[in-house]
Amino acid sequence: MSGRRSGSGVSSISDDQITHLVSKLQQLIPELCARRSHKASASKVLQETCDYIRNLHKEVEDLSDRLSQLLASIDTDKDQAAIVRSLLM
Amino acid sequence: MASFLPDLEPGPEMSPEFERKKRRKTEGNPSSFHPTQGNRRIKQWRTQREQRIYSSNLIESLRRSPTATGNYARDMAYRLLAVSAKGRTRWSRAILLGRLAAGAKMRKHKRAKVGANRKLRKPVSNRQKRKMPAVERKLMALGRLVPGCRKLPLANLLEETSDYIAALEMQVRAMTAISEFLASGGAQPPAGRLVNS
Repeated sequence: MSGRRSGSGVSSISDDQITHLVSKLQQLIPELCARRSHKASASKVLQETCDYIRNLHKEVEDLSDRLSQLLASIDTDKDQAAIVRSLLM
Repeated sequence: MASFLPDLEPGPEMSPEFERKKRRKTEGNPSSFHPTQGNRRIKQWRTQREQRIYSSNLIESLRRSPTATGNYARDMAYRLLAVSAKGRTRWSRAILLGRLAAGAKMRKHKRAKVGANRKLRKPVSNRQKRKMPAVERKLMALGRLVPGCRKLPLANLLEETSDYIAALEMQVRAMTAISEFLASGGAQPPAGRLVNS
């Protein structure tokens, strides 16, 4: 296949790119940020990132369940419905 | 950043519309990607205002369907999150497209589109074998976690991941605040409701 520009293209991921990505990610993940150590390996940072995202997904899932239950119970109560409406303003 | 992603310059298979978008704003094209714009978007996710808007929308949508299950709520939460992103990021567009035409059929189309817009990265070629398999594997895992980012080049993946994480954090904060508020029976308004940042 012919590359459009140089032959290397995007599929040759250089170490620099990985390092850059990893250092940026490190700042995003609370766990890694706290320790502030630059010794975190690429593999560890990527692992932490994936775990963190999975955790967030799980939290959203639990929260959705909880929210749907709470809202269901609230709909039956007019007073609380008014409170919810005030929340929207 | 454009220096090591040369073949992502727009090629003949890019639609004219895509070209237009590229000129106007960063649209997943790394050569026009400004770190500052990405950072600004990420800061946006952390504002009270964004959280408040999201919370209102979420409550509004959920109240409209009294028999909402947890799954429905979750789907709605993600869809609203994607809407809040205003379609500027790949993950948000992927979510909206995925929801729009429920199911594998659309996902197949989506993958084809993603592939057609750029030259597909070679699946494990001998060039990639020189990478440590662990790192490579984890990169792919990350690409799978962020919607619509399975075959994204590194720089874009970073941008999408950062934005996605910031958005998810906002989502969790908002939903937590709402459920605490509701659980307390509306005794006190959620903290920070009146705070603008």
